[in-house]
Amino acid sequence: MLCSITSACLKGIEGYIVNVEVDIAAGMPSLTLVGLPDQEVKEAKDRVLAAIRNSGFDSPTKKITINLVPAEIKKNGTHFDLPIALGILGASGQLSDAALEKLKDFVFIGALGLTGELHASAGVLPMLIALSRQGKKRAVIAQDNLQEAAYACIDIFSAQNLRQVVDLLEGKIPFEQNREKNPEFLNIEEVYSEDFSEVKGQSLAKRALEIAAAGGHNVLMMGPPGTGKSMLAKRFATILPPLEREEMLEILQIYSVCGLLNRRKNNFQRPFRDPHHTISNIALVGGGQNPRPGEVSLAHNGVLFLDEFAEFSRTSLEVLREPLETFKVTIARAKETLTFPAKFTLIAAMNPCPCGYHGHKVKVCNCTPVQISRYKAKISGPLLDRIDLTVNLMPVNFSDWEKKSEGPTSKEIRQRVIAARQIQKERFKNTQTTANAFMSVKQIKEFCALPKDGAQVLELAMKKLGLSARSLDKILKTARTIADLEGSKDIKKEHLMEVLQYRPLDRKGVSDI
Amino acid sequence: MNFEEKLARLKVNSFSYLRSDWLSQMIEIFSSAEELLRQDAKTISKEGKIPLESAEAFLKSCAMLDAAKEMEKTEKSGGKILFNGEEDFPQRLTEIKEAPLLIYVRGDLGDVQRAAVGMVGTRKISPYGRRAASKLAGDLAQSGVVLVSGLARGIDSVVHAEAVKNQTPTWALIGTGIGRCYPAENRELARAILDTGGAIISELPFDAPPLAHHFPRRNRLIAGLSDVVVVVEGEVKSGALITAKMALDQGLDVMAVPGPIDSPTSGGPNKLIKEGAGMVLCANDIIDAIPVQKKFGLKVKKLYNESKAPSEPLTEQEQKIFDLIGEDSKSIDDLALETDLQITQLSAILFSLEVSGIIICTDGKYSRNKFN
Repeated sequence: MLCSITSACLKGIEGYIVNVEVDIAAGMPSLTLVGLPDQEVKEAKDRVLAAIRNSGFDSPTKKITINLVPAEIKKNGTHFDLPIALGILGASGQLSDAALEKLKDFVFIGALGLTGELHASAGVLPMLIALSRQGKKRAVIAQDNLQEAAYACIDIFSAQNLRQVVDLLEGKIPFEQNREKNPEFLNIEEVYSEDFSEVKGQSLAKRALEIAAAGGHNVLMMGPPGTGKSMLAKRFATILPPLEREEMLEILQIYSVCGLLNRRKNNFQRPFRDPHHTISNIALVGGGQNPRPGEVSLAHNGVLFLDEFAEFSRTSLEVLREPLETFKVTIARAKETLTFPAKFTLIAAMNPCPCGYHGHKVKVCNCTPVQISRYKAKISGPLLDRIDLTVNLMPVNFSDWEKKSEGPTSKEIRQRVIAARQIQKERFKNTQTTANAFMSVKQIKEFCALPKDGAQVLELAMKKLGLSARSLDKILKTARTIADLEGSKDIKKEHLMEVLQYRPLDRKGVSDI
Repeated sequence: MNFEEKLARLKVNSFSYLRSDWLSQMIEIFSSAEELLRQDAKTISKEGKIPLESAEAFLKSCAMLDAAKEMEKTEKSGGKILFNGEEDFPQRLTEIKEAPLLIYVRGDLGDVQRAAVGMVGTRKISPYGRRAASKLAGDLAQSGVVLVSGLARGIDSVVHAEAVKNQTPTWALIGTGIGRCYPAENRELARAILDTGGAIISELPFDAPPLAHHFPRRNRLIAGLSDVVVVVEGEVKSGALITAKMALDQGLDVMAVPGPIDSPTSGGPNKLIKEGAGMVLCANDIIDAIPVQKKFGLKVKKLYNESKAPSEPLTEQEQKIFDLIGEDSKSIDDLALETDLQITQLSAILFSLEVSGIIICTDGKYSRNKFN
């Protein structure tokens, strides 16, 4: 007898429908699994038969053939256990006709333990989203996946074990019983344990981060150890605007694929990823045998903080160039090409030299000029080109530290950021662009018109300060954000002058070497 | 000097561990470099009073160098080799202690007897050293003095760059062969020096690498080609001070740019001043020290009469910020703290001050532009 069950699988972070066909025929007892199953899928054989037995059903001693359609795409994941088990039960005549009929209304995703218990599996949310797009209405999943699954527009039954699923099909448990309401997205109050006002002084860096949050710009902080670079970066998340529903869904899908979603409570904050500088290239941008999203994708719609920027391996830094430019990572293989979204704000922090004290007011730097220039040269020109704001942080000495003002709280800054984002939202209506930093060249032309005296400022800066012409676009984008923060319709010359504060590396003869 | 002798001298010159006056002496003893090369190590060791191993190493190095190839490479690169004793060899260099046997020259030396000022200093330059070097070198270049330096990082590069900026010739005495550029980042500068009618000079074989003992040797050439040597910045033990000592040995005027007493990079010049070196407060102090007969043709007057360009009066706020910056350097954070102004307002004020050249910004810190 033949039985076909609908399930799904993942390709990158996109889900697609997979039909699990089970055929049972007379012959030598055996179980064959075809349709390019990966090792995890193949192991389903042993799990499923034990689970069937231990749930009080018979495991058939006949020739069982299982096919995963479409058969030409590689499948991985443990979530085929449940559909395979139900297929075997259906094909071996252990389900009633009514149950067999009902099977067709559902999709099944879940891993099985040997006792028949249902376990969570990775990537449930993107699979459900894909299924609902295909018009599927009802899904059965493991209890532990319920939280994330609730974000998909599909009715969900969450079961604890195989027996319960069969009971549902047999009509012994009503479907509605286990349905979870879609949660509310935007009414969640974010709670942070840190606040911007805790960092004393460093008003320039704080202002730069405010601009970065408002316009999605990348920031490089340079300064000796102990100047508060990491402290500031950690607090950057507290001034970011709240997540939009769409953004949230994108983040959840990526985290679902990586199996990183917290079972009990979902994280409603923007992601803040701070990988260590020994990270491998693949861990950073994604890839591997079964391609997985890397840190840049985990930081999607959030912040990627790279502390000790210059200590990252040269190749790791260079692979960052693509996502910084195109906001996605494309992993090309002979058979398939996968794309992971990676639209993040880069916050990088580095020392000015290997020993860290170059330019320090009190401590003496012991590095040779060659060492310093080599250290700075680790950050290549093309990479620097993708960083809009650069700030030099100076150490704060104690007497200053005492009197230095605390500055605005995260809440105050955040309100300004949200207001600026609102202006941008209005500006970029009906386009793909979400913030000033992501403007295309055409949009820069359209939205960043220069006032007359503004052009003069830039000309002066080029002539007198040696500003290079290639950074003009970035200056305009940043000036646009500063204008938005002020609620100004046009870019004014003051805005341009402020941007120049954040472009120290553009100036000629800036360094002491 | 015949061609064979030239080849022989190129070979003899290739062993940079021995002093050139020793070489000249040996050539005199054996009447020619060719003859010297025909000797065995024992004879050279005995006559030259050097250990046998050194003599062996010397002969080995001489044999290794393909002198004809050396000439060919030099010519191909657009350079030439000048031999001590020939007419075109700079007279200045024959007069120094340890006169070189020969020099490799790229570019144009022009009139070697022109007024020339050697400016040397540390590679680890401070913002003050940069300001001082560029101001002094710029003024000297404008007055028509040839600037002589070593094309190293730091002060040397600033000096050469000023000369290039003012389109005046400058001589770079380098510590490698002329077929190399060290440090590599100065390649552009080296090209610009040649383009503006300057010269790159070395006594080392065409491809000689930058070895530590090459640099003190070339310092004597810097002194040798200059009328005055000015030490801008340098620690008490540094190459700049070696140059100063060489200059004193050659009877030249040594001058130094004073600096803060607690700055390690000004230790050298301050010590020189204490010991009697001339103190440099402006470019005219240097020009005054150039021998009278060479001052002819220098555009000195202009410097004496130089008047400050009338600048627009500062606004009240600009003056306040300028006063706050004071003698030290301040970051925008410091200023924000002391004035209660917002970053936006401060940026605008600092921008107009910086553009008018009254203050300068280095690594995010603002300081007064002392030379404006």
